[in-house]
Amino acid sequence: MNIRFDDLPTSMPTTNRPQNLGSSMNDDASRLDGFTKVTGQAKYGRDQYLPNSLFVGFVRCPVGAAELEAHDDAPAKAVPGVVEVEISGKDGQYQGHSVGYVVAESPAALARGLRALTVKWKRGSVKTRIMDEKLETPDPNDATKDLLAAADHVLEAEYSTEVQTHASLETHGAVIDHKGDSATCYVSTQGTFAATDGLGEAIGLPRSKYEVICEYVGGGFGSKLNGAGKEGVTAAKVAAKYKRPVYCFVSREEDQVDTGNRPSSLVRVKIGFKNDGTVLGGQIRSWGGVGVGRGGGGIALPTGRYTLGKLQKDHTDVRLNAGAPRPFRAPGHPQAAFVEELMLDEMATIAGIDPLELRLKLETSQDRREMMQLGANLIGWTDRQKTGSQTSVLRRGFGMGTTAWGGGGSQAECEVVINRDGSIEARTGTQDIGQGQRSTMGIIPASVLGVPLKFVTVRIGHSTLPVGPGSGGSTTTPSTAPVMQLAAESARKQLLVAIANLNGGDASELDIKDGQVLRSGKPLMSWKDACAKIGGEQILGRGKSEDVKRGEGHSQGVQFVDLTVDSETGVVRVNRVVAYQACGKVIARKLAESQVIGGVIQGLSYALFESRVLDRNVGSMLNANLEMYKIAGSADMPHIEPVLWRKGQTGYRSLGEPPTIPTSGAIACAVFNAIGKPVRSLPITPDKVLAVLQGAKS
Amino acid sequence: MPAPDDSSSDNGRANAPKANLSRRLFIKTVGSTAAATTITAAGQAAAQVIAQRDDDPVRGPGPIDITLTINGEAKRVKIEPATTLLDTLRVYLNMTGSKEICDRGSCGGCSVLVDGKLTVSCMMLAVDAEGVEVTTIEGLSKGSALDPIQESFVRHDALQCGYCTPGLVVACRALLNKYPKPDLNQIKHELSGNICRCGTYTNVFNAVLEASNQKPIVDQEAR
Repeated sequence: MNIRFDDLPTSMPTTNRPQNLGSSMNDDASRLDGFTKVTGQAKYGRDQYLPNSLFVGFVRCPVGAAELEAHDDAPAKAVPGVVEVEISGKDGQYQGHSVGYVVAESPAALARGLRALTVKWKRGSVKTRIMDEKLETPDPNDATKDLLAAADHVLEAEYSTEVQTHASLETHGAVIDHKGDSATCYVSTQGTFAATDGLGEAIGLPRSKYEVICEYVGGGFGSKLNGAGKEGVTAAKVAAKYKRPVYCFVSREEDQVDTGNRPSSLVRVKIGFKNDGTVLGGQIRSWGGVGVGRGGGGIALPTGRYTLGKLQKDHTDVRLNAGAPRPFRAPGHPQAAFVEELMLDEMATIAGIDPLELRLKLETSQDRREMMQLGANLIGWTDRQKTGSQTSVLRRGFGMGTTAWGGGGSQAECEVVINRDGSIEARTGTQDIGQGQRSTMGIIPASVLGVPLKFVTVRIGHSTLPVGPGSGGSTTTPSTAPVMQLAAESARKQLLVAIANLNGGDASELDIKDGQVLRSGKPLMSWKDACAKIGGEQILGRGKSEDVKRGEGHSQGVQFVDLTVDSETGVVRVNRVVAYQACGKVIARKLAESQVIGGVIQGLSYALFESRVLDRNVGSMLNANLEMYKIAGSADMPHIEPVLWRKGQTGYRSLGEPPTIPTSGAIACAVFNAIGKPVRSLPITPDKVLAVLQGAKS
Repeated sequence: MPAPDDSSSDNGRANAPKANLSRRLFIKTVGSTAAATTITAAGQAAAQVIAQRDDDPVRGPGPIDITLTINGEAKRVKIEPATTLLDTLRVYLNMTGSKEICDRGSCGGCSVLVDGKLTVSCMMLAVDAEGVEVTTIEGLSKGSALDPIQESFVRHDALQCGYCTPGLVVACRALLNKYPKPDLNQIKHELSGNICRCGTYTNVFNAVLEASNQKPIVDQEAR
C-alpha cells in the first residue's frame, strides 16, 4: 500500500473543454492532492483515530424549545466505559442546542451512555416560520408613491426561499491530542489560525505549545468559519483534563440542526416600470428567518447589477426556534438573485419585451453585457419560445441570471524554499477546503521558477506555517496567490544572483525555463546543478500581503439555463447550463472550471430540492439526514459548460462564491418561460409547479 | 485505536432474554424488509449477503474475535457484534478511506465491494462480512499502479474536497465491472446512490467515460 505519489503525473491534459484552453497559468495541471484523495490516503480530521482516545458526544435539546427540568446522570455514569457526564445548561432554545456532554472510552460506550442518561425536558411553544411573525409592510413613502403613480405597470409580488443547510460531507468536529505539555489539534475548519486562537483557553496551554493541523477538510461552504467551534473547544477542554487524545465529531443529524444554514427569506416587492422597460423603482420589504441567530438574515437586494430606479427598502430578521445561520457560500446573494431575476422576467413579460433585451437595457456592466450576448448564442436563446405559449406536456424553458463578487484580501504570508537538492517547498498555513489551495500554491512557484510542478512540495494547513487567511468571502486565493508569487520571485532572484556570482556575468542575463538555467537564451546548467551551487543550506524567498497590490479584473458572471418542465408531473429537469465567469487571472484551468461547475450544481440543488422541514408543533427538523434532505444527485445533472472570462483579467480574484449566485434565479426564469406562470418560491418542487399550473387553468 | 468495550454484557444486556429469536434471524428479517424498500443497489447487496449466510450460533453480546478478508489480506479484529463493517474498518483497523457521512445508507460515502458487489459498509455488520471478500478504496490501487478510474478521476478533476471521492471511486469501479462501456444514462443511474456536496458529478461522468475508453462529453466552443 506504499503509494509513491512522486511517480504519478502532475500534468494531465484534457480536451473536453476547448473553450478554456490557454486561459490559465497551467491548463493541464491536475489537483496536487488528487491521487491522495482518490486512493483514500488523505487523512481528514474525522479520520484521526488515535490510540487511547476518549470520545465526546453532546447532550442536546430534542425539540425547538424546552427547559431541562431534571436529569439523572447515575444511569449514564454506571455504563461501563463512560468516563464523565457533564450537564451545564438547561435552556434549550432550538433542536440540537447543547446543554452538556458525555465522555466515554469508545464510540459504543458513548452511544450507550447518551442513551442511558435520564433527562426530563419541559417543552415550550415554538415559532418555526417567518409567516408566524406579524408581517407588516410600511406604506410607501411619498417619493415611492410618486414613482409608482408615474409607472405604466406595477408588479406586486411575494417571493420566498427555504432554509438550506450546508451539509458538508465531513461533519463538524476536532480531535485534540493532548500530551500534557503540548498538543496537536486536528480540526475540520475553514480557518486554521482562527481555530488555533479559539482553542487557547480550553486547551490550557500557551499558543506556542500546541499546533492545529488541517491538511484536508471535507467541505465547509462557510459553516466552518467559526474557529475551533463548540466541538473543538469541548474536545480541548476534555483533553486538557484527561491528558489524552479526544475525538469529537458530530453525527449527520447533529450537523443538520446545529452547524448553521442559509436562512429562509420572504420578500414583497412593488415595483413600477415603463412600457419600454425603464424601471422607475418602488418598494422592497424583506424578512430573514434566522433561527436563534442575532442577525444574518439580510438579503443583498437589489443586487446593483441592474438599473432599477429608486427603491425603498426595509428588512427585518425574524427569530425562530431553530438553529442559527452561518455564512453560506455568498450569504444573502442567491436569495436576492432569485427574486431579482424572476422579477425582471415577470416585468419583461408584462411589458412584452424579451428578457434578454430587458437585461441588456438595464445591465450596469459592459463585460456582463458582452457575456450575455455570447452566452445567449451558446445556449441557443433563439430557440426560446414566448412565455406562456406552450401547451404540450413537456415544455422547454430558457432563463438567465447574473453575478458579481467584490472579494478582498486578508493577511497572508508565504515562503518559497529552494533546497540544494533542487526540491522546492511552498509554505503557507492556510487550508484547502476543496477549492484547490494546495494546487494553486504549487503551480505559482513552479511557474515563476520555471520548473516542473513535480519539483514543488506544498505545505499548507498547519498553524506553525506562515499565517494565512480563513476561507471566507472567496478571499483565500486573492489573498495568498500574489503573496506566493512574490515569495517565488524573491527566491528566483536570489538563486539567479547566486549563479551569476559563481559563473560570472549578470543575473539579468539568466533565465529558467523547463528546469534549465539559460544565459542569454542558451542552456547554462540544469536546475539541479544550479541548486547544488547554493551557498549555505537553502534559499528562502518570503512574501507578505503588505507588499502586494490587489489584483485587477473582476468576478462578474452570467449564466444561462435550458430546462424542461413536465406539466403533468411538475418535475423540472435542467438540460444544460452555460456559465460565463470571470475570476481574475486563472491559475489552474481545470480547478477553476470545477469551482464554476460546483457553484452551478449547488445553485441547481438550492433551486429545485433543498429545504429544511421543521415540525410546526415541536420545532424539530423532520429531514435531518441526507435522504429526506434532498441534495442534487447524479441523475439530476444537466450538461454544464463553464466559460472562463479572459478579457481584462490580470490580477488574482475571487471564484468560490460568485458562480452559485445566479443559478437559482436563472432556473426560476426558465420554469416561468416554460409554463407561463412564475413559481415564486424556492425550492421549485413538483407540487408548486402543479399548483401554479392549476391556478393558471382556473 | 480505542480498545473495544469489554463490558457491554454488564449494560442491561446480560438480563435480556436469551434469544428465542436469534439475532441473525432478526437481522435477516430486517434485512429483507430493507431490501424491499431501499432504492440503492448497494443496500440490496448488503441485505443479500446477509440473507445468504447460514445461521451461526449466537455470539456476543460481549466483544468477539472475528477475521475479515479485506483487500486479500486476513485481518483479525476484536469488536462488539453490533459493530458495522464501516466502524470496524475506520475505528478498529484504521482504514479510514471509507468515509462515514450519513451513517444510514443514503450517501454512498462508505461504499466497498463485498464479493465484487457494491455495498454500503455502514449498513452491514462486520460479523456478516466474515467469509466474504471485502475490497475497500485502499485495495483498488497496488503501489503506484492505480485503477484506471482513479487516474481518470484525477485527470478530469472529478473531486474537490475529496470526502465523497473514495465512495464514488468504488461505485465507479462497480459500475465499470457491470457495464464495461456504460452510456451516460447508465452512469447517472448507477451513481445515484452517491452524494457529492461540492458538485463534481459532471466531471465524474467524464472520468468514467474516459476510463472505459469512450470519448468524454465535449463542451461547445464558446464564441
